[in-house]
Amino acid sequence: MKVAFLVNDLQLSGGVGVVVQHARRLNALGGWDITLVLVREEEGASWHGYDYLPDLRVLSRQEALSERFDVAIATWWETTFTLFELSAARHVYFVQSLEDRFYRHDEAGRLGAALTLDLPVTFITEASWIQQTLAGLRPDAPCYIVRNGIDKDVFPPLEHAPVNTTGPLRVLIEGSPSSWFKHVHDAIYAAAAMREPHHVTVICDDRQALGEVVADEIVGPLSHRAMAAAYEQSDVVLKLSSVEGMFGPPLEGFHRGTTCVVTPVTGHDEYVEHGWNGLLTDWDDLRGTARQLDLLARDRELLHFLRSNALETARAWPSWEQASQFMASALLAIAREPAPEFHAATARLLADLRGGIDIYDVQLRERAEFARRALRVERIVGRARANPVIRQLLRLRRFRIGRVVARALRPLSSRARRLLS
Amino acid sequence: MSDWQERITFETAPAIRVEHELRYRIAAPLILAGDPWADLGCGNGLAAAAALGDSRPAHAVLVDIDQAVVARAASALELTDATAVTGDLTDPRDLQRIGDALVRYQGEPVVTCFEVVEHLSSFVELIEWAGMLAHDHGATFVISVPNDAFWSIQNPHHRSSWSEGAFEALRELLPPQRTLLRQVAVSGSAVVRWDSPPKLRQLSVQVGGTDAVATHFIAAFGPRHDDLQTAALANQTDATRQRRWERERESNLAIAQKVVVEQEATIADQRGDLRERIAQFDEWRTYIHELERELGRPLSGASAEDQPGAATEASSHTPSDSSPQAEPPA
Repeated sequence: MKVAFLVNDLQLSGGVGVVVQHARRLNALGGWDITLVLVREEEGASWHGYDYLPDLRVLSRQEALSERFDVAIATWWETTFTLFELSAARHVYFVQSLEDRFYRHDEAGRLGAALTLDLPVTFITEASWIQQTLAGLRPDAPCYIVRNGIDKDVFPPLEHAPVNTTGPLRVLIEGSPSSWFKHVHDAIYAAAAMREPHHVTVICDDRQALGEVVADEIVGPLSHRAMAAAYEQSDVVLKLSSVEGMFGPPLEGFHRGTTCVVTPVTGHDEYVEHGWNGLLTDWDDLRGTARQLDLLARDRELLHFLRSNALETARAWPSWEQASQFMASALLAIAREPAPEFHAATARLLADLRGGIDIYDVQLRERAEFARRALRVERIVGRARANPVIRQLLRLRRFRIGRVVARALRPLSSRARRLLS
Repeated sequence: MSDWQERITFETAPAIRVEHELRYRIAAPLILAGDPWADLGCGNGLAAAAALGDSRPAHAVLVDIDQAVVARAASALELTDATAVTGDLTDPRDLQRIGDALVRYQGEPVVTCFEVVEHLSSFVELIEWAGMLAHDHGATFVISVPNDAFWSIQNPHHRSSWSEGAFEALRELLPPQRTLLRQVAVSGSAVVRWDSPPKLRQLSVQVGGTDAVATHFIAAFGPRHDDLQTAALANQTDATRQRRWERERESNLAIAQKVVVEQEATIADQRGDLRERIAQFDEWRTYIHELERELGRPLSGASAEDQPGAATEASSHTPSDSSPQAEPPA
């Protein structure tokens, strides 16, 4: 079976990591020929952070165009632009999250990512919430679920959860601070608001985006093995994300004996059970989150109970070998079944495109209206600046007396500015 | 010393034997009506023999990875026409052989595969083969996997882990016409007259519900998947045997722990010995070096930098004078 996974790049990240794991494990099965196709022209084959990537075949988009595949798989919404350029018997879209949520309402990527879900493809996804959403959006399209595995070599489940009876509660916060939906700063704020003794470790890939924060330790970016060690030195993983796919990090922590305090984010229901292996905290309730952390710091029996059950959850979670066997079986089934019918997908795509055009039209009209108002204001300001008296008055600001008068008039000028805007 | 084992034997914990037997019981009507019956991972055949009672299918194909075990199963089941196949269920060629043995009878095969999938390094081939056999030859499959989340220890024999989520992924790979069952644990007690002989009791137990935690997940697919029965089975606990089983494991564990402690003590002793010897060697080395210094010889076993005069010579060297090793003093 000849399979192409389409990726934007091969930088170390959760989404690409999942694809690389599947590619690597499928390649190890007999009779599978796996290729990673880099769809961005400017991307070269770089395997920073992936020890095993050199074992995989990596092609540029141009090179892949001359090959024939049994299955071609888009793995990120932008990679779908290349999906149908490739010659393949089946086209598959591996949806790791509803990627339109990664963009704010005023970003073009939001509509683009949403539209790709209308393509005539077979879906594979990694979380039941995505599968349910896709079933609602695209009842015509087949959708298989292949949950992510855990690299049990890197994150082997501990035999017993370590006992922390006296030390401070060791809180681990992980995530990219530049991604708004990870809410890393909120998590740091909640941990800092704890009353009980605590030790906060922040693991992030972008110190600049993190800025000045209150934490005992800031490390990263870390390799997976270093992450495993960091989890092992922690009691609880704190994640307050508002968008997640399968929500892997707390599960990795489970393997190394941590529990978690998390928001009821998409994907949490795959394995987090409130009061059994972790605690769920409310949205935007940073004080409440701090009190939950305080509870764990005070009640060490509860902490250990949650950690022990988290470890039990981890043991039953499939490894990457097993997850990729599910992927292999799903791909074989997709190859066996007829390709999905494209009429329903096209109708859906055009309907959504029409909706997008309507929104774009409204936004263009709003923009034209704003431009008209701005022009009016600019004319008034221009006329005022041309007036010799006002010019003289503006010149007075160079002198001390002028600045004093300007300061006194500031409320008036602010109001005028507000009115104009 | 007995070993943690996965095959069902007379020594297996009674509760585990009952749950294994029950799986064969629910499949028994299918097994007896179908032809032939194949049991993948047949083991010793004890649970199947108990579940089938006095009835036997006309033809059977017994499959296991261990030839001796297949022979034992054939003997325990007392089958009139049994084909023994030793094979690996991850190997497409072995699966082909099993398929050939089944289609030879030209009937509607029934295949049981209980507690096997989790032992395979890959289940991809088995699932593909089963789907093909169900589609092309009208075979009905009944398979089961354990709920590993139910057990607090990691089973060293399992190559894959199963839970609600993993089973959900598996069942999506099966043909759409299928029957899914949960196997749940039942516990209880009974009061009997002091001298009464054994008597069959009808029990009334409420079982099931979507929140019932499964110990095992069962799926049937193929043309007769719907004929799969539901059932409950409770046996009087043989407390002596149960206690024996538990004590055996407790004593094995105690011995293992003791062995570990002893080995740790041995390692500690050896570490002490090693330290003493290292200290002794260090003393000898110091003594030999003193002698070598007195004789003006280079120090044996020492690096170039540690040789006497190396530092002063190196500092007096010009950049062009870059001989790799300092000359011994005259």
